[in-house]
Amino acid sequence: MTGLVGVASATAAMVFMLVPGITRLHKSYGAILLGTLVASMLIPYNGMPLAAYVRSATGDLSITTLVLLWFAMMNSLLNSGMSKTGERRTILFAIAFAALALYPMALGASSFDPYRLGYGNLVFVFALLLVSLAAWLRGLHLLALCIAMSVLAWAIGWYESNNIWDYLLDPFVSIYALLAIMFYAAKSILRRKQVIELKVVTQEASGS
Amino acid sequence: MFKFSVHHPLILGLVLVAFCAAFYKAANHSTSASFRPSAFTPQATDNIPGMHTHFASTRQHIHVHAASLVELGDGRIRAFWFAGSREGAEDVEIMSAVFDPSKNTWDSEQSVANRSGTEHSLFRYVRKLGNPVALRGTDGKLWLFYVTVSLGGWAGSSITAITSTDEGTTWSLPRRLITSPFLNISTLVKGTPFLYEDGTIGLPVYHEFIGKFGELLRISNAGEIIDKQRLSVGKTTLQPIVLIKDPQHALVLMRYSGASPKRVVATSTEDGGQHWEFPYKTALANPDAAISGVTLSDGRILVALNNTEQGRDVLSLVISADGGTTWQTVYQFEDQHDASVEPQSYVKTASDLAKITDTSIIDTAGYGESAKQNKCGGQHCSFEFSYPYLIRTQAGDFHLVYTWNRSFIKHIRFSRAWLDQQIKNDNSKLH
Repeated sequence: MTGLVGVASATAAMVFMLVPGITRLHKSYGAILLGTLVASMLIPYNGMPLAAYVRSATGDLSITTLVLLWFAMMNSLLNSGMSKTGERRTILFAIAFAALALYPMALGASSFDPYRLGYGNLVFVFALLLVSLAAWLRGLHLLALCIAMSVLAWAIGWYESNNIWDYLLDPFVSIYALLAIMFYAAKSILRRKQVIELKVVTQEASGS
Repeated sequence: MFKFSVHHPLILGLVLVAFCAAFYKAANHSTSASFRPSAFTPQATDNIPGMHTHFASTRQHIHVHAASLVELGDGRIRAFWFAGSREGAEDVEIMSAVFDPSKNTWDSEQSVANRSGTEHSLFRYVRKLGNPVALRGTDGKLWLFYVTVSLGGWAGSSITAITSTDEGTTWSLPRRLITSPFLNISTLVKGTPFLYEDGTIGLPVYHEFIGKFGELLRISNAGEIIDKQRLSVGKTTLQPIVLIKDPQHALVLMRYSGASPKRVVATSTEDGGQHWEFPYKTALANPDAAISGVTLSDGRILVALNNTEQGRDVLSLVISADGGTTWQTVYQFEDQHDASVEPQSYVKTASDLAKITDTSIIDTAGYGESAKQNKCGGQHCSFEFSYPYLIRTQAGDFHLVYTWNRSFIKHIRFSRAWLDQQIKNDNSKLH
């Protein structure tokens, strides 16, 4: 049931952010709409809730995905301006790095399977603690929150999975992070190219 | 104006609480990995040479496959297999029947799981069901693990588990095992589950998405996965079986789906499964088909398989006395390698084979026609004796089930004395 609630709330949060104009609603109307969206995902149709069909394809969404989605939604709903670009990029880099470290090897690219570490390996848990503390000390509070919430959810057995990786990451947040980084990289290359071109034009203009 | 923010000390507090809980859970994580070899208490009947054949399934004109066995507390044998209009069809169900060794008979088959019931309990759409394997825990609880697919083909499989505390009469609600980080897809079962010394369950599984390789799951008595090990890498090995010699030593044999020479692939451990050596090809020919085996109390390994490079029309029993280096063919249960594949003679041969299997069958033509329905396309038919599943009971006798022309589940029961007699047979072939 916890997995269903996760999928329902994530779907509602995505609808909330993707449909234009919703975030401009009054807070109380926004909250009612959000509650209605979550409830409609959990009402059974043909014996199964809509969230169950989504979950058949997605599996249980990671706690990181849920925290980030809800954080983004609350940000746009409350106009808090909480998300700093630098922190956002660091989180995306952290997710992309973790995804590249996990998925290829977990799908058989090597004899070492990092997914195995997620079944309560003490060194792995300790490493996650160090990353969380480092993130907190450097002011990356959202990153620390994502890891802490994921680890806590694993410790109390929130989902069916007994593997920390399933709480930390899922393919959707991983693909989003990788695409966002590629977008940033392309944008940065394009900007640098424009600056160089502008310099050349300026030099040519001053030369003539 | 209200500001939604993540407050620094609160987050630090959450980090500390979360990791205290995590370290508590990780510290209680069981690390013991010794195997529990099967114990046998040979009975008087074990010394009487004998082999008996039956059909465990009885429904005609249906597609059946992937049978498995488990011994119940009172010595009876429960079989499981999947059956439906065709493999992968929505109407496929997991069927079960019980064999009573004292009466030498099978009772009628019952459905223990279907697609609709599974999806409603799992809260996930389920498209089809597949291979079931079972185990009886140290507490007498029966575990049934079966393949379920929500999206795509068999590469999109996940494992579902149900349990029974009354030897399989009634079953718990299904539970999904989460075994892979990528949408939990592509973990399948076929090999016989086994027990570790601490009572946890070892479940040989395999992965089929992008790569094909064997893995081993360790499952707690509460049904949680507590460890996962890789037995092989690459794109050519699947369906591992674990043959336990003693608490530290085990041999794993795997079906090979790569290029010729087509041979069964092996790996082994000498430290209770903590490390596995690099997989290698054995001398056993196999046409990319499932295998099954048991370890005898003297350490010899007995394996049932299609012992040819092509086709599943020969089913053999082979034995190794040197840990899998050399193999001797003990007996050929089925051999239709040179049989006619024209439909009319196919039906007659299949009907005759059914009569030989169980002389009490009256409607042998129905068995032949069922085989034709599943194994003939146009003017071409083929025989298939595949997916063996071999167990040895506590009393010491052996039970083998396998797919008979995709139409019935055939059962062969034989004693240790019969096995010894066949091993001494001069016709035995050495590989």
